[in-house]
Amino acid sequence: MEKLKQILNSLMDCLSLSGHELYGESTIKALAEGICDEIKTDNMGTFLLIKKSARENAPKLLIDAHYDTVGLMVTGIKKGGFLSITSVGGLDTNILPSTEVTVYGKEKVYGIITSTPPHLRSGEPKSPKMDGLYIDTGYSKEKIEELVSIGDPVVFKNTVDYINGDYVTSAYLDDKACLCSALDALSKMDKDQMEFDIYLTASAQEETGKCGVARVAFDIEPDLAVITDVNFAKTEDDESFECIEAGKGASIDISAVTNRRISKNIMKYLTSEGIEYQVCCEPGATSTNADFVSISGQGVPTVLMSVPLKSMHTPSETVNLRDIKSLSEILVKIAYHKDILN
Amino acid sequence: MKQLLKKLSLEFGPSGCEDRVREAIKEEIKDYIVGKEAIEDGLGSYIVHMGGNGPRLMISAHMDEVGFMVTGILDNGLLKFGTVGGIDPVCLSSKRVISESGVKGNIISKPIHLLSASERGQAPKMKNLSIDIGANSKDEAQKLTFVGDYFTFDSDYCEYGEGFVKCKALDDRLGCAIMCQLIKDIYNGEIEPKYDLYFAFTTREEIGYSGAYGASMRVRPEYAIILESKAVADIAGVGEESQVATLGDGVIISFADRGTIYDHTFVKHIKAIADKNGIKNQTNRYISGGNDSMHIQKNAEGARVSTLSCASRYIHSQSDVIHMDDFESAYKTVKEVIKNDGSN
Repeated sequence: MEKLKQILNSLMDCLSLSGHELYGESTIKALAEGICDEIKTDNMGTFLLIKKSARENAPKLLIDAHYDTVGLMVTGIKKGGFLSITSVGGLDTNILPSTEVTVYGKEKVYGIITSTPPHLRSGEPKSPKMDGLYIDTGYSKEKIEELVSIGDPVVFKNTVDYINGDYVTSAYLDDKACLCSALDALSKMDKDQMEFDIYLTASAQEETGKCGVARVAFDIEPDLAVITDVNFAKTEDDESFECIEAGKGASIDISAVTNRRISKNIMKYLTSEGIEYQVCCEPGATSTNADFVSISGQGVPTVLMSVPLKSMHTPSETVNLRDIKSLSEILVKIAYHKDILN
Repeated sequence: MKQLLKKLSLEFGPSGCEDRVREAIKEEIKDYIVGKEAIEDGLGSYIVHMGGNGPRLMISAHMDEVGFMVTGILDNGLLKFGTVGGIDPVCLSSKRVISESGVKGNIISKPIHLLSASERGQAPKMKNLSIDIGANSKDEAQKLTFVGDYFTFDSDYCEYGEGFVKCKALDDRLGCAIMCQLIKDIYNGEIEPKYDLYFAFTTREEIGYSGAYGASMRVRPEYAIILESKAVADIAGVGEESQVATLGDGVIISFADRGTIYDHTFVKHIKAIADKNGIKNQTNRYISGGNDSMHIQKNAEGARVSTLSCASRYIHSQSDVIHMDDFESAYKTVKEVIKNDGSN
């Protein structure tokens, strides 16, 4: 668990707002050091880590976790040093008032998203509108114009808390929780036991169009793609069966998009090995990179696996470290067992 | 004094649970009140009689902050809660909280992806919010908390921009910090009070049924100065006509708010002293809010009251913000008022 925490802390400590993933290059390279044969960075900011099996002509397994996160972008500088903003990726404006952020201008600038006092609002309570929210930087307009430009990325202030032992709370766990699992798995894979060549992508721009990994998949033409992403953990409001339970392990997600035969083979194999997992259903499309990887090139058999996450797309995304560990263990198992393709 | 502001603001003390704040204050001033009468009253307020020659003046600030109380524990380990004091639900989703015993959690609501069309665009409702403390079952949760347990925002002290400070509970630990400093100043001989001076660190201001009732009945002040923070909305998107005051423009010397019409003579006297000493000050340009002065003014024989406030943004949220210049000028103003016998 300590090693997982270390990987997570490094991942969460760097800017990777969707469209700005190249800021994180040094972080990914540092984490990739010594755990793969080769690392490539493409022009969009998708990082590809390649680790070959000791065996000749091993089939290709693409493991994907997206590296980008949701956040905000500066759209204007107002009187009093307030910055107008727009969202990058899907954000609920209800989570924004009084939330602390970091603006990546010429230097990092701390700010607080404004909240209008209730006595100045009238009628039924409504969600705040994005164009009525600003970042309070505490600087004068003149000073902030020296530090910040329109278009600068903004992310939630990174505060990592461990709650009740195994739960970690941070702004950036979607999808760095799964990337943590994948990097941990890659570091543990023994080349002699690997029955696949591994192509691990920390992909760009999932949150803004799911476009970072598909073109890499087009280049690789994998025999199997395992997409890993977070999924909704059950809370009192989400009684739907589309949700999985936090703390009970990673899930195999069954969908019209994913390969039914291979998904079943993986479940059978994990059961025979005594490894626990959850099953989650995503009727129709999955709203993950699986949708696009499956139709890349001439079509790629694709499997989707998830780690349960609470409070998705908020500054307090929460995940259980045991679930991150579970996904890592499952990925290693899959890499050692190409029979799942049959 | 900045260090003291930080220390007191970070103490845990929602209304009805102010013990830690009071103990921190007692510890802070104990060496400076030797031989003085100091009482913890039945509502938990801490009242220090520093004395002096002149009419009875009570300076008060409240120790409590807004917070949360656990009202139920669900089978899945999530906590239902109510607010202690007025908190806008729009400032709750996804915010970190901490309990009296240090259990960390965060406030969760349904993720945007799962909201139905009719739910989108609606402000959060209390009944749809819960506290997640990472417990997977009711049993597990009950080992960490209980129905009736208190939580507050878990938010650090942070200086930002040009002179601004953010923390939880600056409302009203800033008043407590100023009072501690004044007590030290008197002890050190920097101030010779021209009043018979009482300091009241009060409880339960945020819920209305305030410790200030008991404190003012005990002290029976002729004059009272309430040190507070005041929501002002000097932010982008709010028209100037609705902006109550401006952060950084000095202490707010109020003429009236929603709870009190302040004593005109006393207010003008205080403003004259601030002006004479070159202390930045302003008044509120919009009538809103209220504080302990409404109780103190009308209690016992009645008192001539004035509130000196620091303008605050995002009050009662995790990000309570004030400007250090205002904090300084509030402190300096009271200090000068105490020294002044009314002859100006």
